[in-house]
Amino acid sequence: MGIQIKNVSKSFGSVKVLKDISVDIKSGELIALLGPSGSGKTTLLRILAGLEGLDEGTILFDGEDITNVSPKERKIGFVFQHYALFRHMNVFENVAYGLKVRPRKTRPSKKEIERKVNELLSLVKLENFQDRYPSQLSGGQRQRVALARALAVEPKVLLLDEPFGALDAKVRKELRRWLRQLHNEFHVTSIFVTHDQEEALDVADRIIVMNNGKIEQIGTPDEVYENPKSPFVYDFLGNVNIFRGRLQNGKLKQGQFEINAPHYLDSHDDAVGYARPHDILIEKEQVDNETVPAKISFIHIVGPTARIELKREDNGEYLEAELPKEQFKNLQIQKGEVVYVRPKQLKVFIPEDFSI
Amino acid sequence: MTKPLDVDRKMPIVKKAVSNPYPLKESAIVKWSLITISLLYISLFLILPLISIFVTALEKGWETYVASIVHPDALAAIKLTITVALIVVPLNAVFGIAAAWLITKFTFRGKNLLVTLIDLPFAVSPVIAGLIFILLFGAQGLFGDWLFEHDIKIVFALPGIILATLFVTFPFVARELIPLMQTQGITEEEASISLGASGWKTFFYVTLPNIKWGLLYGLILCNARAIGEFGAVSVVSGHIRGETNTMPLHIEILYNEYQFTAAFAVASIMSILAILTIIIKHIASWKAKEF
Ligand SMILES: Nc1ncnc2c1ncn2[C@@H]1O[C@H](COP(=O)(O)OP(=O)(O)OP(=O)(O)O)[C@@H](O)[C@H]1O
Ligand SMILES: [Mg+2]
Repeated sequence: MGIQIKNVSKSFGSVKVLKDISVDIKSGELIALLGPSGSGKTTLLRILAGLEGLDEGTILFDGEDITNVSPKERKIGFVFQHYALFRHMNVFENVAYGLKVRPRKTRPSKKEIERKVNELLSLVKLENFQDRYPSQLSGGQRQRVALARALAVEPKVLLLDEPFGALDAKVRKELRRWLRQLHNEFHVTSIFVTHDQEEALDVADRIIVMNNGKIEQIGTPDEVYENPKSPFVYDFLGNVNIFRGRLQNGKLKQGQFEINAPHYLDSHDDAVGYARPHDILIEKEQVDNETVPAKISFIHIVGPTARIELKREDNGEYLEAELPKEQFKNLQIQKGEVVYVRPKQLKVFIPEDFSI
Repeated sequence: MTKPLDVDRKMPIVKKAVSNPYPLKESAIVKWSLITISLLYISLFLILPLISIFVTALEKGWETYVASIVHPDALAAIKLTITVALIVVPLNAVFGIAAAWLITKFTFRGKNLLVTLIDLPFAVSPVIAGLIFILLFGAQGLFGDWLFEHDIKIVFALPGIILATLFVTFPFVARELIPLMQTQGITEEEASISLGASGWKTFFYVTLPNIKWGLLYGLILCNARAIGEFGAVSVVSGHIRGETNTMPLHIEILYNEYQFTAAFAVASIMSILAILTIIIKHIASWKAKEF
């Protein structure tokens, strides 16, 4: 089912938590809703589910206005941030609930319900946990029960609020892959909330980046990562190095340092260039003035990559570089050494970009 | 109305897990003297009177005991008390659940006022509670004339007794449920609704099972108070023998007429009810905690 969110605004008291949100979601898409804590992700999801009212705007499911339709008629599956399993029901009863409470006309037979629940439990690999109560399950198992429960009603839309929030890194990764598979299998339009950029980049078809009740950018992981529209998005999606300077004639200048920024032709006194750690090159000799001198303050090797922390000689700011271990070995650099840092790719933002 | 009135108030017992915040190391002497004092105190003020009730009741033999209980006035009192409890407890269950539901699952204006009002019967003396109903529905009361014209009897009749009992017992269920439902939050209800359940189904399948032990606990307290209420009922009952006397009122009348054995015989029935109540309450609170 396709979802259109049109100019939705929402306030709690005098605080505006959603400001004029508009998104078009195609049927069958897997969308990540990414943003810092308090940016309004849960609120938007709850509005879609009908658990929260909205002040302005409309929501369409497949072109049909459902703004005032009650949650129980929206055919959504909601996986709550803290699972919200029924504590007095065992795993089987939890998953069966959505089918059991249907009006008699549409309610499947007991046998049918049993078959369906067993199928779902084997899908989430909890066949042997039918009789357990939520309090007797681990976080990851509860999460999967919550997912099975939501899937049991065959929702047209699946909404997941930080589905992997409380889990350890390994389980997260496993469930993440599993969600992707599930999505490929069921093709149900899904939106999941996360504040982990890696998670969003890893699974989603498209990412909605939210900040402070507004949408900063919508795009595929690649678009959002490679072409962030605002400093906020750039910052939020990964580690960054900042090069402040004056923008003039397509060059960003600061003291001796001068680098080409061919896409920016107007002049600005305080522009900021952003570069990701893996877009930083380290050179032993100064060949031109597109590099800045910096002293290596820390070297940390994890697996195949070397992370190098440097302190700029000219203004004392810290930089971070990441390079393959091989390349690092060839460079033969050591802590305390002064090297020359070259931003391979620079994304420049001017002051107006910050005020969006 | 010049009779001595019972003003003892049973406040709801706050359930709290007993924990030992500091490893208090008392010497053996202190410990044992504290235990001795509490045991003496309990024996003196609880067990001894309880035993004396049964001893006095059975003083003149089993036959007199039975005769006092099957006396028509005594039977009428027992029947009236049970009738009142049977009407009041379900009504307060409904009210208590509704109020707790409203207070914990919704936000609205005047919520704090409602919470305060629920506590009102705890703050007001039962005598005053009774007097309120006399002032409203008595012959000289606000609605007195209207009721007289329509031939409706409220005070000095069953409706008055029920109203007075309702008033003094209505906080018990709500007070028990509000903190419980507050800690449980509303996410399970939201989950239920998002899974397509109606409001009623959500209530019966999700909310009610989650609060059942707390509810039972509140109902038991409510029931105990409904059976034992003296002050408020005394004011509105009119003390018509065999008609508007509840068990506590009947006991008092017998006592004032120096029929000690009969008085204590009926009192023993009430004591048995009280002991049963305590046992059930204990099980309920234990179950509630376990849950
Ligand atoms: N029921 C409510 N009443 C008042 N304010 C609320 C309510 N729910 C949320 N808010 C406020 O709305 C803002 C957005 O909250 P929301 O829960 O949507 O954030 P979020 O992006 O999901 O954050 P997190 O990542 O921490 O879960 C916050 O400032 C929060 O304090
Ligand atoms: Mg949230």
